[in-house]
Amino acid sequence: MVWKIVLLVVMTWVIVGAFILPAPQQAIGEASRIFYFHVPQAWVAVVAFLVSMVASVRFLRNGNRLEDDRARVAAGLGLLFSLLATVSGSIFAKVTWQSYWNWDPRETSILILLLIYGAYFALRTAVTEPERQARLAAVYAIFAFVTVPFLMFVIPRVLPSLHPSDSIVDESGSFAMSLETSVVFFPSLAAFTGVFIWMYRLGRRVTTAERLRIEE
Amino acid sequence: MMSNYTVLAVTLIIWFGIFAYLMVLDRKTRRLEVKK
Repeated sequence: MVWKIVLLVVMTWVIVGAFILPAPQQAIGEASRIFYFHVPQAWVAVVAFLVSMVASVRFLRNGNRLEDDRARVAAGLGLLFSLLATVSGSIFAKVTWQSYWNWDPRETSILILLLIYGAYFALRTAVTEPERQARLAAVYAIFAFVTVPFLMFVIPRVLPSLHPSDSIVDESGSFAMSLETSVVFFPSLAAFTGVFIWMYRLGRRVTTAERLRIEE
Repeated sequence: MMSNYTVLAVTLIIWFGIFAYLMVLDRKTRRLEVKK
């Protein structure tokens, strides 16, 4: 219970700080405040896909269906947070680039990622036999995660992009965040991770209960 | 154009709504686990 109260307080601080303190990128203006929500959403998406991959590996090693439940719930949350990051990025794009969608490398790569993990759930619904479904999904989740570092970090940095890339680390590789930005950004990372952990636990509880009910 | 305070108020309402929803779900699913 204590950690839920801490989460409530920290996220409330993040929201208040994000709108009360100066905008993180003065050159971009008020729209840059979305940084406090957009980056943690993308961060949680990567963490969720990592959890899904690790649980899939564990399922293939020990055949425990609990691991498959974990992989499924984490992949679903990864998809949800990727979608949130896409929407928040799109709002930022509308304000700064005058268009919700520009086919910027960053936008295109996140769209590909959404399709890859959308296909994970299409695969799960296409296979009806539970054991076979779990095995195929686990193999797919491992291969799907291989694309995540490339789509989230490599491709958007290799190709020319309008996406801001100096918010955390500048071109010389040194830490570029002011103290005012840090006191909101890092709690935001922690708070979004906390929300993810909470949702993950709830999702796993429900998924496992549903599976056991079907198996009975 | 909405002021920062309006956006702040709307975002806080959304967050409190999500928090309350998660609390309710937590309680409901805990009961579900006890039944199991």
